[in-house]
Amino acid sequence: MDGAMRQAMTSGVFGNYQTPPQFLDEVFCQAGKVNPEYEALYSQFLKYSKDDYRQLNEHAKTSFFNQGITFSVYTDKAKGVERIFPFDLFPRIIQADEWAQLEKGIIQRCVALNLFIQDIYTHKHILRDKVVPADLIFSSKNYLKAMLDIKPVAGIYNHISGTDLIKHSDGKYYVLEDNIRCPSGISYVLTNRVAMKRALLETFRKFKVSTVQEYPQELLATMQSVAPQGVDAPNCVVLTPGVYNSAYFEHAYLALTMGVSLVEGRDLYVEKNFVYMKTINGPKKVDVVYRRIDDAFLDPMAFNPDSVLGVPGLMGAYREGNVSLVNAPGTGFADDKAVYTYVPDIIKYYLGEEPILNNVQTYRCEKDDDFKYVLENMQNLVVKPVDESGGYGILIGSKATKEQLAEFKQLITQNRRKYIAQPIMNLSMHATYIEGEDRFEPRHVDLRTFTLLGKDRQFVLKGGLSRVALKKGSLIVNSSQGGGSKDTWVIRDDSAV
Amino acid sequence: MLSRIGNSLFWMGRYLERSEHIARYTRVQYVASVDSPLAHNQENVLESILHMTANWEGYFQTQQQLEANAVINYTAISEDNSFSILSYIDRVRENARGARDSISIELWEAINSFYHKINAYAAAGLHAEEIEYFARRIEENSYVMKGYIDNTLLRNDVWQLIYLGMHLERAIQIILILQTKFKDREKMLSGPDYAAYENFIWTSTLLSVESFDMYMRCQKTAPDKHHVLNFLLFDTAFPKSVAFSLNTVKQCINEISFQEEKKQGFIHFEAGKLACNFQYTTVKDIEENPVEFLNTTLESIYALAHLLDAKYLKYN
Repeated sequence: MDGAMRQAMTSGVFGNYQTPPQFLDEVFCQAGKVNPEYEALYSQFLKYSKDDYRQLNEHAKTSFFNQGITFSVYTDKAKGVERIFPFDLFPRIIQADEWAQLEKGIIQRCVALNLFIQDIYTHKHILRDKVVPADLIFSSKNYLKAMLDIKPVAGIYNHISGTDLIKHSDGKYYVLEDNIRCPSGISYVLTNRVAMKRALLETFRKFKVSTVQEYPQELLATMQSVAPQGVDAPNCVVLTPGVYNSAYFEHAYLALTMGVSLVEGRDLYVEKNFVYMKTINGPKKVDVVYRRIDDAFLDPMAFNPDSVLGVPGLMGAYREGNVSLVNAPGTGFADDKAVYTYVPDIIKYYLGEEPILNNVQTYRCEKDDDFKYVLENMQNLVVKPVDESGGYGILIGSKATKEQLAEFKQLITQNRRKYIAQPIMNLSMHATYIEGEDRFEPRHVDLRTFTLLGKDRQFVLKGGLSRVALKKGSLIVNSSQGGGSKDTWVIRDDSAV
Repeated sequence: MLSRIGNSLFWMGRYLERSEHIARYTRVQYVASVDSPLAHNQENVLESILHMTANWEGYFQTQQQLEANAVINYTAISEDNSFSILSYIDRVRENARGARDSISIELWEAINSFYHKINAYAAAGLHAEEIEYFARRIEENSYVMKGYIDNTLLRNDVWQLIYLGMHLERAIQIILILQTKFKDREKMLSGPDYAAYENFIWTSTLLSVESFDMYMRCQKTAPDKHHVLNFLLFDTAFPKSVAFSLNTVKQCINEISFQEEKKQGFIHFEAGKLACNFQYTTVKDIEENPVEFLNTTLESIYALAHLLDAKYLKYN
């Protein structure tokens, strides 16, 4: 090591980096040494002075801002303040062999969940065989009677899945959550990659990073593969709630990169069970809808009658097989956090295979033994409501006050079906640039992966959204609660090709 | 193309054009008032700005008297005023955002980054003198956005609809400027310095449309009512004249693949009628009562715009 490098290690952006003793740091091992897969990246970053790096970071931020990759934060002013989703330029690396295993596990899980949904809305074998308790399904607010006996094209319900993974202190990946309603975040993966290339092209070239840019084409092909029978050149659209939705950027980005129309509910209407969009040249039939509107708002005739976002009669057209919806309505009961605990059993039941990916040990408060355990050990557990998303309504036992613990005990007792608890998982940490401090510090990360299932096709994006909890010590990575993101580099195994 | 997208593109073009004309008019009038041949002219100028920008009533709902800083702030940047320049820029961006999947990434970035910059600039409020800087940013960036419209978009319905909106609005704005100037002039007709004022008023009219030098090149005479009307209304070679704009409107409507028949009450017919009418009118025909001609022309253009909105770009 030369003198300049030694100096950079103490005064540069990595100066004074404290490896967390009780957690797994993916970049540094305990002694503060860089892990081999990060060596090249680390030495590249050491070359930046604090000023250089601050500039680089500002430059990337401006690029996001001008591209409109923002979400609105509402204030008392007439205009909401727009924020970018914070992005960290130091990427996360996943090795080829590690990824290959993850990919297999993710596909296995998504395929099994699809069979599970299909079974529940048709024969219900799994309930009769008592592998999953029937109550659990029928008490879920996301179970839709309107879906009974509907047969989606090719039997696919969860065309798009976002599987959330974490790396525990034991170095293994665990599934934290399945998202099979309208998982979001893919546009950040794609734009993060563009920003990375703009900012750090030289560094990028030294790694064999798998590309992510084919995702929109894969999504389009997936949509086309499930077009209604007899439709040759399907008209595919993305259905958005509109410009005021926080994920509007993503909806527009996907429509733009797939080259399809971005429609709102008011652009569509249903006549004789066919769906049409209103164009300046008259009506045009719509065949496949990638809908980014929640089930409850899809069709005011079938679900929430107050919805102005949806399309009256859409479910009728769907039932007749004249339009395909991606994802199918009613998948939400299967990514419920209480059903989560049964996923290993579900995989064994439908596929006759052992699950490849680990599940986090979960206690279901509705079971008497588990309920008792949760009440007695709450300070060591994370308690979650089963049907909320976005990190809301969660209690982290080790950080809760006495009053909060007491309050949650009462909440759980009142509605045991609603809560599950898990041991506090030690999300791995990753070196993350902290603005204001002008240096890198360890922060907790998870990984959202994106999977597509179509007729005779399966695809897992090689990469994903590494979400970072920017607040010191925080375990919550959701963007609505102070989360940021990192580019995720899955290293290509060229020898296998 | 979705009717809603068509609507967004049309209005994006209109608001872009409108913000540019209002910015320029406000700047030119305000700056010209500094060396005007008449005493007490500043009040007249402030009144003129409020009239042309349709802000007269709104302004006096919250203010007791004419005051330069208040007028400039209300017209240029007030968030509470939906007819302020900044509000129009917001709407340009909102419409572009609604039609994002139809326009180019470059055009969107130009609109979006300008929106952020100008909002940041305006956050601290404006002194009346700053209208010079503020309005020039609006005018320049309008040309930048139009550059992206012209150089990055396919020549299809998307481009035609933006262009249609821009030129329809341009015809409207030129007429509004002329109407306002006739109103300003009326106040002075009986005054002692009238002769000096006549030249001043027509010169500042031309400057408000960025057309003084082109006017001189064509008409080769000091600006007066006859020649200025002739140039701004009927010169088909000048891209800001009403005749030029209405001709472009007609061409755009012919190119857009609206589904319809070509007969009375339909858009092609009405646009054609309007443009042809203009083509075969000369300044001599209207000189006796120019204000009435301006009024009826404006009504016909509004009727055409309404027809488009209500029949062809309707989506709710």
